[in-house]
Amino acid sequence: MEKKIHPLVTSAQEQLSQGKISRRDFLKFSTLLGASLATAQFLASCAAPTEAPAEPTAVPATAVPPTAVPATEAPKSSITRGGTLTCATRVERVDNPATFSLVSASHPWRHVIEYLTHTDPQGITHPYLLESWKASDDLLTWTLILRKGIKFNNGQDFTADDVMFNFKQWLTESVKSSMYGAMSYLSMDGVEKTDDYTVTLHLKSPSIFIPEHLAQYPAGIVPANFGGDLTKEPIGTGAFTMEEYVVGERCRLKARKDYWRMGEDGQPLPYLDEIVMVQLGEDRSADLSAYQSGQVDTILEPSVAIWEALKDDANSTIVATPTTATRVLRLRVDQEPWTKNEVRQALKHCHNREKILALALQGQGTIGNDSHVGQANPEYVDVAPYPFDTAKSLELLKAAGYPDGVTVELSVASDWPETMAYVQALKEDAAAGGFTINLKPMPATEYWNVWTTANMGVTWWSHRTLAPMTLAVAYTAGEDGKPGAWNESGWVDEEFSTILTEAIGTLDLTKRKELVGKLEVIQKERGSICLPFFMSVWKIYTKKVHGIEPTPDEYAIFYETWKEA
Amino acid sequence: MARYIVRRLMTMLLTMVIVSMLVFAIVEIAPGNVARNILGAYATPEQEASMSMQLGLTRPVAIRYISWLCGSDWQASPEINLPLTETVSKQGLVEKSQQWWAIKPNGDLAQWEMKDGQMYAFIRQPDGTTLEVLDDNVWKVDASGQEYFWGVDTGNRAAKWIRGQGGVEYQLDYSGWVQKNDAPAEYIPLNKGLLRGEAGMSLRYNTPVADVIQRRILNSVILASLAMLFSIPIAVALGLLAGLNEGKLVDRLISMGGLITAGSPDFATGILLIMVFALWLKLLPGAAVFTSENAVLKDPHLLILPVLTASLVEIGYILRITRSSVVEVMNSAYVRTAILKGLSYQQVVMRHVLRNAMMAPITVIMLHINWFIGGLVVVESVFGYPGLGNFILNAALYKDVYSIEAGAMVLIVLAVGTQLVADVIYSLINPRIRYS
Repeated sequence: MEKKIHPLVTSAQEQLSQGKISRRDFLKFSTLLGASLATAQFLASCAAPTEAPAEPTAVPATAVPPTAVPATEAPKSSITRGGTLTCATRVERVDNPATFSLVSASHPWRHVIEYLTHTDPQGITHPYLLESWKASDDLLTWTLILRKGIKFNNGQDFTADDVMFNFKQWLTESVKSSMYGAMSYLSMDGVEKTDDYTVTLHLKSPSIFIPEHLAQYPAGIVPANFGGDLTKEPIGTGAFTMEEYVVGERCRLKARKDYWRMGEDGQPLPYLDEIVMVQLGEDRSADLSAYQSGQVDTILEPSVAIWEALKDDANSTIVATPTTATRVLRLRVDQEPWTKNEVRQALKHCHNREKILALALQGQGTIGNDSHVGQANPEYVDVAPYPFDTAKSLELLKAAGYPDGVTVELSVASDWPETMAYVQALKEDAAAGGFTINLKPMPATEYWNVWTTANMGVTWWSHRTLAPMTLAVAYTAGEDGKPGAWNESGWVDEEFSTILTEAIGTLDLTKRKELVGKLEVIQKERGSICLPFFMSVWKIYTKKVHGIEPTPDEYAIFYETWKEA
Repeated sequence: MARYIVRRLMTMLLTMVIVSMLVFAIVEIAPGNVARNILGAYATPEQEASMSMQLGLTRPVAIRYISWLCGSDWQASPEINLPLTETVSKQGLVEKSQQWWAIKPNGDLAQWEMKDGQMYAFIRQPDGTTLEVLDDNVWKVDASGQEYFWGVDTGNRAAKWIRGQGGVEYQLDYSGWVQKNDAPAEYIPLNKGLLRGEAGMSLRYNTPVADVIQRRILNSVILASLAMLFSIPIAVALGLLAGLNEGKLVDRLISMGGLITAGSPDFATGILLIMVFALWLKLLPGAAVFTSENAVLKDPHLLILPVLTASLVEIGYILRITRSSVVEVMNSAYVRTAILKGLSYQQVVMRHVLRNAMMAPITVIMLHINWFIGGLVVVESVFGYPGLGNFILNAALYKDVYSIEAGAMVLIVLAVGTQLVADVIYSLINPRIRYS
């Protein structure tokens, strides 16, 4: 058991007993710093609340909406082994996992390659391929201790060399991994192999994100001699091997016999024999009928339309999770008319947020305040969004030198229905506020070619556990001072960046909340995005299937999934 | 007749050549830069220029067209002064990984790479791996005293290296787009060309276009031929029945039915059929879920609803054409004459009406074969069927140039081919048509 407890854990324990943070938050941060979950739970129970704990504004990670049928897990003894799980999803073209830029690319491959850490449905990050990690008191040195005895599916041992190679991929700019921007607190000089099973990270600035970043979807571990193309070398430590991979059509995974983790029944995981993932056309239009006629067991990343069609289905288990996944209307601040903050503010005043949420998501989400911080982030502070006020918008436009209003062109991916519903509502409402919005719909594949360059566009953003994780990727400058690779609006704000850096080095949740609150206000008042809603996501699967983790990140994890015979 | 067919074949060939030029030109002229598509939005102009050169896009259009059609290995071989060959091997999940090599006089297959001004050869071993050896005696001297070497690089290109003047190239490495010095100064991308069965690499699927498109053509041919086999006999029989009974109740019923099926859009029919047969009666699968390559052979049920949807539209259409053609023939002078001279009704119909009335439906059917194979995008979409129409649509969405070009050529071959077959059938059923 942990001999030494990180000093910040003790202070967090104090906060817990004073009711400043919730038990969930305490567990999350203690485990982040390397205390085992058992230790953290023990400490939490020691922190007898002196008064009733103030519940944080964070939404519980596994909220079940009234319409959802509770997942009735069968007793563990009844786990059935064998069978094939068939999923409707997308089968993306892949090469290097470090460069994954779509969660869907990781669905099949996370069963072949594994991660150093894992964030569970409660938002607590655990060691996975790691045995444990330790953070120094100043949060500048992190020691990663690898689990021994794990073998890749080609027989090679998993060692520190493999971890070093993966860090090298993530931290080399030319690789264009989103890990590069996310891990801006670390450079390759700071990654050190201490021995065959230990890697030490020396950070440039204090950060608490390491465990959570290591669980992100582009952080799958490939062996040190990986050549750069998963389809040519499908080698990993995962419980399945890839047997067939046809981009845009299908892939087939087969269970490995010698996987390192054990199931409930004492035998090695996985329970399933096979996973088949199929893509039914580019727009996945046949997913619903395939599911309803029993040809697939689950639909991955189901849309609102699919949720609507199945929400009352007696044969389905539906688990909803609020997330920080969203569609961001981002404005290129280096292009007219968005160079003027008044114009951006004006557009924010044209958002009738309740109406947009109702139209886009049937109300299945939470309201956003134009900062990329949502209620599902533990640091969220309730900052009210601008009210819907078209008169104010006209006034702001006038002040910005557009007395006659302004005409703009909005690029949108027509295959994202919630986005289309959002922009159509906005187009109507913003007309009264002086904006003539010409919609430029295009297929999503086309949109991804212009997502960083279009004057005005709506971009799909995935869920991230902690608020500063997203902010660091999307609203900061790279080392050269220019907007980073994923900074799609080109917005860099000095004060914002300074506070963000401070927040990233602050473990104390109360203090970090304070800092993030400031960031929310800055982004709301002068940021480059309109963000009217955050989405909820669902896991939808037939009643025959059990053991699917509800993840806000929409990761599809079938290691412990089993199917009634 | 034989002379006619030969002449038609010649015209067909000419049409194909002209059309291939047009297809190539349209894809070339169409906005969008292939190099930029591959590199993504963050590429620098230098990276883009380097990529264009590696793809051979800086070569003259005429030469690129010929390379696309007939390959480029024969163009590069004299420069290298060695014969070239291509090996195909399985690498991981990639069934056909293609590699080009030069055949050395001793029979070794070799690729080269320049490192720090020295040439290294990769010699292919029997097990498919390569052995790296220093091979620095290959240099030749040109008129200006410059040392140069033409060889095959490790990226399936013929390349000209110039000693002491390594170019800069950007390559997709395990670590992404990396700058490589010691790069060649000139490239000829190697491929066999469309006519020799190699249509280039698909940017979307990262596999040879020929592999993907073969599978998709097969799927589409299965769907189209079943739909035609099902719909044509029914449509022709019903059309004949209606036409021979013009104005009677049976004609009214059939005509109305035809109007309904031809008039309902296929996405509506498809969804209706799914709702009835898959969701309500639970008799048939509601989507074409291919859990393996030959899923339709293992489970032909998957095909029933897509075939039915495609057929319904077709039945209505052919039925109406057949009916009006029969009506027209029945009112013609020669049919009246035949009846007047005392032939039985059956003889009139079999000998005179049927043959003549078939001309119009055959034209329609022949024109539709092409549409049936490449144009069933909507039906494919409704059922998630991996067919050719979907393939071409997605190729266009992704600006996957070689896939668009190959897909267009397949459809054109089909169009011209079916037209020829139609002409031959006309001459057989209508003796008045004389081809000379």
